[in-house]
Amino acid sequence: MATVQVSEAEKVYILHGIRDDLRVDGRGCEDYRHMEIETDVVSNTDGSAKVTLGDTAVLVGVKADIGKPRPMVPNEGYVEFFVDCSANATPEFEGRGGEELGTELSNTLYKVFNNKHSVDLKSLCISAGEHCWVLYVDVLLLQCDGNLYDAISVAIKAALFNTKIPRVHISADEEGGKEIELSDDPYDCVRLNVENVPCIVTLCKVGHRHVVDATLQEKACSVASLIISVTHKGTITCTRKVGGGSLDLESIFEMTEAGKRVGKALHAPLMKLLQQEESLGKARQKVGFLG
Amino acid sequence: MPTDTKRVRGPEVSQSPTLFLCKHAAVFPSHGPRADGRQRDQVDVRPVFVRCGLVSQAKGSAYIEAGNTKLMCCVYGPREMERKDETDMKCGKLTTDMRFAPFSCLERGSWIQGSQDKDLSLMLHESLQPAVCLHKYPRSQIEVNVMVLENSGSVLAHAVTCASLALADAGIEMYDLVLGCSIRQNGASYVVDPSYMEENSCSSVSSENQGGLTVAFLPSLNQISGLQSDGEMTEETLTAGVRTCIEGCYKLYPVIQQALTKAVRRAAPPPAES
Repeated sequence: MATVQVSEAEKVYILHGIRDDLRVDGRGCEDYRHMEIETDVVSNTDGSAKVTLGDTAVLVGVKADIGKPRPMVPNEGYVEFFVDCSANATPEFEGRGGEELGTELSNTLYKVFNNKHSVDLKSLCISAGEHCWVLYVDVLLLQCDGNLYDAISVAIKAALFNTKIPRVHISADEEGGKEIELSDDPYDCVRLNVENVPCIVTLCKVGHRHVVDATLQEKACSVASLIISVTHKGTITCTRKVGGGSLDLESIFEMTEAGKRVGKALHAPLMKLLQQEESLGKARQKVGFLG
Repeated sequence: MPTDTKRVRGPEVSQSPTLFLCKHAAVFPSHGPRADGRQRDQVDVRPVFVRCGLVSQAKGSAYIEAGNTKLMCCVYGPREMERKDETDMKCGKLTTDMRFAPFSCLERGSWIQGSQDKDLSLMLHESLQPAVCLHKYPRSQIEVNVMVLENSGSVLAHAVTCASLALADAGIEMYDLVLGCSIRQNGASYVVDPSYMEENSCSSVSSENQGGLTVAFLPSLNQISGLQSDGEMTEETLTAGVRTCIEGCYKLYPVIQQALTKAVRRAAPPPAES
């Protein structure tokens, strides 16, 4: 992850502030920074979203391709994640520098979505054993200012909400083989149900308290963080401890409870915002990348 | 699209013969005794065989066998390292590498993703780092290599235990041993130290709590150095699962301590009573 150098005096300042529930930018320990979400920013994809969380910016594009289902589960489609740390974000990511971070992020995403309910894979099946939809979710990190997991998970949820999969018809041709026909109408598409897509909350342990949505300076003062992905119902789909320090048992329980609370509260306003943006339709003002 | 460049697989059209079995992979029941006779819903870990000092070339090594899961770990170091950036001069660097032998799993290649090894290595690194006194080895590198010889479930947990034992055998200064334990939650019941079949089977009833949890624990300091879960669980199930894993680690502790004292005695026998 991109790092900043923090002096001892700064560390003490941040630590004391957090102890009194007051962070450097005035937030409380469980407050997020200002988040901006925009969907449908890239026209070549089937769904896309751009999320800006403070100074962290993430762009997600979803493309749906027709592929062969996995041999063990012939009646389901699947989702593939790939995270690319662009060299724009920080010079450390130049060349292969960002590969390690990218692999770590995509492996965590696989774990987060590795359950039956997050994405309805059965609806991605076209014909069992032969054809299915494969959703390629590609994440691009544009700017990095801490808390990548949260921004990525919100962007993925927004992009999946925005994804329009074309409707297909299977017909038998003369030799008895199957032929796939895409419908002629470009607006005839299937939407995904993203109710159960989880959101990731990162909690960093700073001193004796934990903070949500840590900036890079706060991250430099913490030894360990806990990543929790929470669905709107409050079920936890993935937890992971990251960082080179150890955590006390009680802290883990406290952080899990706080993560679940914060994560659960994130879903309702997010869905409302996405539906509001969708309902604006053509009247929506596009902000794009310069706003 | 990233492809797996680490393994040489068979041609694309080849498939595992298990796909052609008439009855598909058994759905494991969530009641009744487990396949190997252990109890469900109790902290019943597999009996463990541990030995240190197997590999003569390595500074420290350990071998662990739990049921059919067999792993070995070698530690090399501390070795001098030229660092490109100045920031890490004050403390050492721990590198971990976890690999699966190609014959270790039931299916060769078809379910293993190339990135899974990297992911497990990263989690192993995060679990071991809090325990090693890296500040005592400035400008040095300590390498930990784990090789899974047979994967019969709960591989990460046993890798953590084996690696910390190998580090202790190598004489690397540590704050505490790291022990690992994992459970698999299946509906309302859980199984501790799951075997491969128990880990990968999916219950036919798609109930709420389905998932696996692995915990790395420092027993004398009572701290958790690694935590990883997947699947879908409620918060209460998760916290109960963490407590269960910690109990499992405490059960393993005396065995590991005994193995370590045996290894030390063998290496440096106590002076004979005169």
